[in-house]
Amino acid sequence: MSLVEISNLNAWYGDKHVLKNINLEIPRNIIFAIMGPSGCGKSTLLRAMNRLLELNPNAKVSGQVKIDGIDVYSDKIDITWVRRQFGMVFQIPNPFPHLSIYDNVAIGPRMNGLVKNKSELDQLVKWALEKAYLWDEVKNDLKKPASMLSGGQQQRLCIARALALKPKIILMDEPTANLDPVAASKIEELMLELKEDYTIVIVTHNPQQAARVSDYVAFLYMGELIEVGETSQVFTRPVHKLTERYVVGKIG
Amino acid sequence: MLGVISLLAIISAIPIFAIIINIYSEGLKYVSLSFLIDFPPPPISGGAGGIGPALVGSLILIGLATVIGGAIGFFTGLYLSEYSHTKLAQYTQMFLQIMVEFPTIIIGLFAYSVLVAPLKRFNAFAGAFALSIVIIPYIALNVREAYKSIPYTLKEAAFSLGLSYPKVYLRVLLSTAKRGVLTALLIGMAKAGGETAPLLLTILGTTFTYFEGLDQPINAIPLLIYNFALSPYERWHQVAWGASAVLLTIILTIFIISRLVVKEVKI
Repeated sequence: MSLVEISNLNAWYGDKHVLKNINLEIPRNIIFAIMGPSGCGKSTLLRAMNRLLELNPNAKVSGQVKIDGIDVYSDKIDITWVRRQFGMVFQIPNPFPHLSIYDNVAIGPRMNGLVKNKSELDQLVKWALEKAYLWDEVKNDLKKPASMLSGGQQQRLCIARALALKPKIILMDEPTANLDPVAASKIEELMLELKEDYTIVIVTHNPQQAARVSDYVAFLYMGELIEVGETSQVFTRPVHKLTERYVVGKIG
Repeated sequence: MLGVISLLAIISAIPIFAIIINIYSEGLKYVSLSFLIDFPPPPISGGAGGIGPALVGSLILIGLATVIGGAIGFFTGLYLSEYSHTKLAQYTQMFLQIMVEFPTIIIGLFAYSVLVAPLKRFNAFAGAFALSIVIIPYIALNVREAYKSIPYTLKEAAFSLGLSYPKVYLRVLLSTAKRGVLTALLIGMAKAGGETAPLLLTILGTTFTYFEGLDQPINAIPLLIYNFALSPYERWHQVAWGASAVLLTIILTIFIISRLVVKEVKI
């Protein structure tokens, strides 16, 4: 069974139909890229998975998203549980600026009651920061505000914050779009490392990035899923003309 | 042209300095520790006296109004910020904006009709109730601004951690917006401390008794100033000047604190 199964997913903002009948399966322990030009619905698809889309009062969703076989849109489900299964990293690094580096990582497990005591929390924070390749840079500054970190460090802190919830999957919404090339490549390296233990879904408008990091790729165009497959296949022998034009840079 | 505008700007700032200089030069000489504690003097003979009951009354009224108005205003402001797309929020906001401009004597009259007339007694609670109504729109609209100013991406971050609405808004985001919220409460406090009109018809103003219960009359500094300044007695005029200096100090202190709070936000 795939980790995530999306079937007949539709989404609207008001009257605007932004996701049109999406069917998609995301296997385990891979990097799955969703690529497409801006406004094609990539970020909406990501937010439909962890139900963050519902923060937008105009958004409407129909269809099914299953994680480990459980439908996240089922009536009986606790939405906070759903969101904890998906760690999320955003386009603009968004650590809580008034909280310390430590508290940014600790806030999720602490407020969700996932740890029993302080020492367990300390261990979890250290583990998450190590996983995010940040521990060595910040271990002496844990009490300092997160806003003192550089953009790339802030983004890795956000990855640590997501990891600390022990999610089943990590969603990344253009995580390198606002970073310099050096910081961006560090994030990409980190993703390849995390793939050992996690499934990562990355949204990107940059086909080169999808080609570099992903194992599977889906091409989304104007709300429709045009093509999905193994990255090597999609980039070398695309089935659809639109995909071909996109990967060679003729649209986007 | 610029010279004229600058001159007009300076002229508009003159009253505040004139008022501060006037009040302190007339009133400060009567203020001492005993002035803050003692009963007012008898009109004709006796010692200098003080404003003890009115000061205690004002602090009680400010405290109570801030608690009631603060709680209602805070949650209203939060609602206005987060549900701004709903008709209810849009109408509520419009009504609050009208209420900011409401003549406060009318609010006092309303409190009189619902809390004084039925009980057949002027009482402290009616005053606090009237002041709460006066400050709710100020607090609600400022709390709304405080929450509106939180970047959307931080809201998304908080919700993505699987936190419930109360945890997101009252813990994570409140700590982001705390300075704005604190400023809103301070503005409400200053407003509650300085209002006279809502108190005229609600608390009556006792002269020679301290606080005796929320169902009993009480005094407040603005009301004491009003009553004493209108009296024919010279020594009561002096108490009114001293009380004005104390009131001005309270309001300026609250204002300065709120400025310092706001200043920190920008760093």
